[in-house]
Amino acid sequence: MKKMLKTIGLGVLLGALAAWPVFASGGSLLIKNGTILTVTKGVIAKGDLLVVDGLIKQIGENLQAPAGVRVIDAAGKFVLPGIIDSHTHIAIAGTNEGSEAITPEADVGAVVNADDTAILTALSGGVTMVHTMHGSANPIGGPNVVLKMKWGRPSEELIVHDALRTLKFALGENVKQSSRTILPGGPPPRYPQTRMGTNAIIRRELARAKDYMEEWDRYTKLKASKTPPPTLLPPRKDLRLETLADLLRGKMVARCHDYQATEALEFIGLAKEFGFKVQAFEHAWEAYKIADELARQKIGISVFADSWAYKMEAAEGIAYDAGYCAKKGVLVSINSDSGERIRRLFNEASKTMKYGGLTEDEALRLVTINPAIQLGVEKIVGSLEVGKQADIAVFNEHPMSAYARCDITIVDGDVYFDRAQYLKDKEDAAKKAQDAKKGGRP
Amino acid sequence: MRFRQRLVLTLCLFALSALAWSSAADVGPTYAIRNAKIVTVSGPIFEKGTIIIRNGLIEAIGPAEKTAVPEDAEVIEAEGLCAYPGLISAHTNLLLEEPQAPAPGQGTARLAMGQTTAPPLDPKDALEPWPYRLLKPKKATLDNFLKAGFTTVLVAPNRGIFQGQSVIVDLNGEAPESMVLKHLAALHINLTTNRGGGYPSSLMGTIAYIRQSFMDADYYANAQAVYAKNVKGMKRPEFDPFLEALVPYIRDKKPVIIQCNNAEDIKRAIKIVEEFKLNAMLSHANEAWRDAAGLKKTPLPLLVTLDFRPPAGSQYITQGEDLRKKAEAEIYPANPANLAKEGIAFALTTLGLSDGSAALKNIQSAIKAGLPKEVALKSLTLQPAQYLGLSAQVGSLEPGKIANILLTKGELFDEKTQVDKVFVDGVLWKF
Amino acid sequence: MIKRTALSALLILGIAAGSSFGQATPGKVIVLQGARIIPVVGEEVDGGTIVIKDGKIAAIGKSVTIPAGADLVDARGLRAYPGMIDSYSFLGLQEITGVNETVDNREMGRINPQVWAIEALRYDSMHIPISRSNGITAALVAPTGGLISGRSVLIKLDGWTNREMVIKNPAALQIEFPGIRGGRGGFGGGQRGGGVGAADASRLITELKELFAEARAYEKRKVFAQKNLMLARPAFDETSENLLPILKGEVPAMISVHADRDIRTVLQFIKDENLKAIFFGAEQGWKVASEIKAANIPVIIGSLYDMPPVWDDGYDQLFMNPVLLHRAGVKIAFSSASATAAKDLPYHAAKAAAFGLDRKDALKAVTIYPAEIFGVSPTMGSLEIGKAANIVLADNDILETRTNIKKVYIDGKECDLSNRYTELLDKFKKR
Repeated sequence: MKKMLKTIGLGVLLGALAAWPVFASGGSLLIKNGTILTVTKGVIAKGDLLVVDGLIKQIGENLQAPAGVRVIDAAGKFVLPGIIDSHTHIAIAGTNEGSEAITPEADVGAVVNADDTAILTALSGGVTMVHTMHGSANPIGGPNVVLKMKWGRPSEELIVHDALRTLKFALGENVKQSSRTILPGGPPPRYPQTRMGTNAIIRRELARAKDYMEEWDRYTKLKASKTPPPTLLPPRKDLRLETLADLLRGKMVARCHDYQATEALEFIGLAKEFGFKVQAFEHAWEAYKIADELARQKIGISVFADSWAYKMEAAEGIAYDAGYCAKKGVLVSINSDSGERIRRLFNEASKTMKYGGLTEDEALRLVTINPAIQLGVEKIVGSLEVGKQADIAVFNEHPMSAYARCDITIVDGDVYFDRAQYLKDKEDAAKKAQDAKKGGRP
Repeated sequence: MRFRQRLVLTLCLFALSALAWSSAADVGPTYAIRNAKIVTVSGPIFEKGTIIIRNGLIEAIGPAEKTAVPEDAEVIEAEGLCAYPGLISAHTNLLLEEPQAPAPGQGTARLAMGQTTAPPLDPKDALEPWPYRLLKPKKATLDNFLKAGFTTVLVAPNRGIFQGQSVIVDLNGEAPESMVLKHLAALHINLTTNRGGGYPSSLMGTIAYIRQSFMDADYYANAQAVYAKNVKGMKRPEFDPFLEALVPYIRDKKPVIIQCNNAEDIKRAIKIVEEFKLNAMLSHANEAWRDAAGLKKTPLPLLVTLDFRPPAGSQYITQGEDLRKKAEAEIYPANPANLAKEGIAFALTTLGLSDGSAALKNIQSAIKAGLPKEVALKSLTLQPAQYLGLSAQVGSLEPGKIANILLTKGELFDEKTQVDKVFVDGVLWKF
Repeated sequence: MIKRTALSALLILGIAAGSSFGQATPGKVIVLQGARIIPVVGEEVDGGTIVIKDGKIAAIGKSVTIPAGADLVDARGLRAYPGMIDSYSFLGLQEITGVNETVDNREMGRINPQVWAIEALRYDSMHIPISRSNGITAALVAPTGGLISGRSVLIKLDGWTNREMVIKNPAALQIEFPGIRGGRGGFGGGQRGGGVGAADASRLITELKELFAEARAYEKRKVFAQKNLMLARPAFDETSENLLPILKGEVPAMISVHADRDIRTVLQFIKDENLKAIFFGAEQGWKVASEIKAANIPVIIGSLYDMPPVWDDGYDQLFMNPVLLHRAGVKIAFSSASATAAKDLPYHAAKAAAFGLDRKDALKAVTIYPAEIFGVSPTMGSLEIGKAANIVLADNDILETRTNIKKVYIDGKECDLSNRYTELLDKFKKR
């Protein structure tokens, strides 16, 4: 029995792998008869969506499929844009460079790992794109990367180059390593150990980056002068300071992990002091306390629905946070920050209907167009519109219903997750195992 | 002294000095291996051939009936035996003294106020300029690998990210100096993290650290060059032993070997190689077949390990028990065969294996998985010799090359085959 | 209707645990009118009426006599459900899970039947009003850890002291088998790491059997010593004392068990020891469903907010488990397995419904089935005459995330639905 079931498992996997063809770039298919939730252009009660070469070609009724193109019957089902998770740590080999406080030279984009099975988990929850980030071990961690969930493709094909370049900052308990036990003879504590020190070290490093940019300016001027001195050497190129300089030059935006309201307000002050853009606060469990400031400054938040009370700084994280801020005009996305919760992002978003009074449509935005805007990819994904990339999910119920289940996930027009196929493969494998058993073979 | 006596004396002295010049060590006896099946690798196969060894080198090879046996030769009757070039493992961590574990608290990034970069673990020691001094050959290890047919190995340290510089040795059992075939063979880099608790502790930190180090080495060389032209009136650039050691690899294109522990590492390594235009080889490369496209686009010498253990985090071991077993038994052993099918050349190494017989077993697995026997043999002889710049000296049985020769009962890599005799630097090894 | 204002409790670690409780006036009758009544047992009634008297449901139906002087509550447009029952939680035993000072659900050591959850239950925990305001009116609160964790208690989510909240104490004795081995082979099973090999399972069973045998022997000596003053009395043995209730069948053993093989082992053990038993977790229960059914053991499903522990079982394994168990005739109930996420109880039920459990059965699994499992179905779990008036008025399906709970009655008292969330929101709305 055990062996049969093990064979089923292998069979399922191999069958599933076999079922996933090797894709070039961009597939074609026709989704018919579904309720189409475009997110930005209303709901089509019974509609068709045609994908050609990875892009949405047409949305309407009674569309015809070109020859040889797969037709997905979505009768009774809901068709929505692929879900975008604005804050995860999946598909990378390593999350934190915690040995030092300031490490912006460490780029998660350099360690993408397309072998992470969390990609499959994400697909099973309708997620087609993620913003995978540094953890929160550092006041300044480093650049993050946006990936499409194209399981089986080489890692370079997952990277979304159109996305904004983002730099991870973090404030609070994780950064000051509050929960770390200092062992005698072990590594010494790492500065900073308070929120004050956190801000001080960010300020110091950004000031250093300014110095660095200044040095390069002076060098460039001297070099271009009529008689540059023969002993002229450029400043040492420093990957760490280069990255910070890019932030100050406006080539990157800050995504800052924060919990307490004070932290956020002070960070906004730092950003003003140095002239860089805060794109969003991560987790932001006290954002509701400063919703007006956030709306005014056009700073978004990327938060949980209600996973709170796991740390002191999350003790005042109310479930109304996301919904209340959304109503106040803050750009809100719901994220998972977890290889498990990523499957339930649509459930999490739906909670803002109860805690916040958002409508179905508004709640769906929190995991589609809103994270797209935060990531700077709203022109290519985040809603179902002609011309956008075909990142699509098909659900059995409205995604904002607790009874919803993702049945098909499509990225760039290719089907990467298909529950019906998965069940069929499982059944086939079980049958094969049964037959093998009957045939007397072990 | 009369003229004749002086002449004899002079001739004797000359003979003595000639002898002194001709051998750093004992030249050893002259051998004639007779009637063996000789697989030269670079040339024809002699069904019944004779090899003459003199002075540590192969003096002659030919059909038995055509090759004369010198008078001073000790005859080794090798009827029914096969002769092969001694196998070369182009990347090992053998014969080194165990590295000291860092004391607790040591080697950690103590970040004081005002400090931005903690020093890496002992950078001065990372690039030991005399790696042959690290060799501590043990007879047991030599016996083990010679019995498996390996006569030449590259020895690289295995600590940290900039692991060190390697030395290529013949396993002739003598003092380390006498073993050395090539000193400072390559710079070794591993895509790993600093285990001591210091910086960098993540792979992305490591990649940044490697890039920054090469940038700094280039900058250092440039600063030195400018200073050389402007000694008077310019403050001298500060001496840095680590960067000093790196400069030849970035300026003079000396070989760099990057250890890649999975398919993604290969892509990461290629990026670094291209950025700094390194003269690089990729080692370990246990998932090289998965990036065949990238390797065809950027062909680099591959030193593919015979260690088929799946790497941590491999997708083949995170998707159920059955797949994991398949990975170890079938998927990873098929790496060399898959590369061969793609027409990608490689050398096979024993990196990660401390037992020669395990290496042999794995070669057999690789062959069972579809690696052609001749490719297997070449990838353990002539190919590594070419990659390491030693093709004039080792890698095949040719007159003039070093007499590293295997005599086997049975064809090499067949399951029942035993190594009967091994010659290293022309000396018959005593097990 | 007197409404108590929120208490400001002691600020422990900066946590304001403001809770509030409803207050009933004895003798007062409350009539809910015009609701769509979903009694769970029996047919739904549109535009129905429920009469609450003396804390119980006095009448329920389409046309019901309304006593004079009753408080009339307009429930038009709302649905009336029985209050939900959380079959496994840490409510009252955890405030901030990462702050150890506020966590009380896990005693040190492995054998702790003498540990009783009721004695640590912080009835003014901020998490209880949050659960209550989502329509949950009762919960099992359990200790965890070790092999025998201690006694769990079934409480109603209303009361001025912890003892006032007790519905049934002890509800069960908690016994825990380790989880399925996660690690490299599996998804990396979240909370259920560890693993039991066959040897380990039988070792644990042996240990339990020995403890049981000791308890029985202890009981015998006690009884005999009572009858015969000459016989030495056994000294108080807290372990044995606290095992006797399950050995006598007075209290069920709730056994956390996970892998199919372990479930089989435990089924045999239950039979051998003639225990009344409930399973918790049983993630691979679907593989041995018929055997669980044959033994008539109910299964409390753990949180579905977790990764399947075994890859080969499929990505949806945790969700399918309750579906398949139910289809095989096993009685299931859902739980939050949490304090901070206890309010999510209905969404676990909905998740199982998304994967094939009939919605009506999903609702039963958070109402009447847990009541039956804990032996309190005569008084709760459905809207029937004579049962406690644990009633929830909701503006939508109670298992849906969008649903707003308008009123909650526990034992006929209307509860204050304010909680930590609403307090902070109200405060900052004033900004």
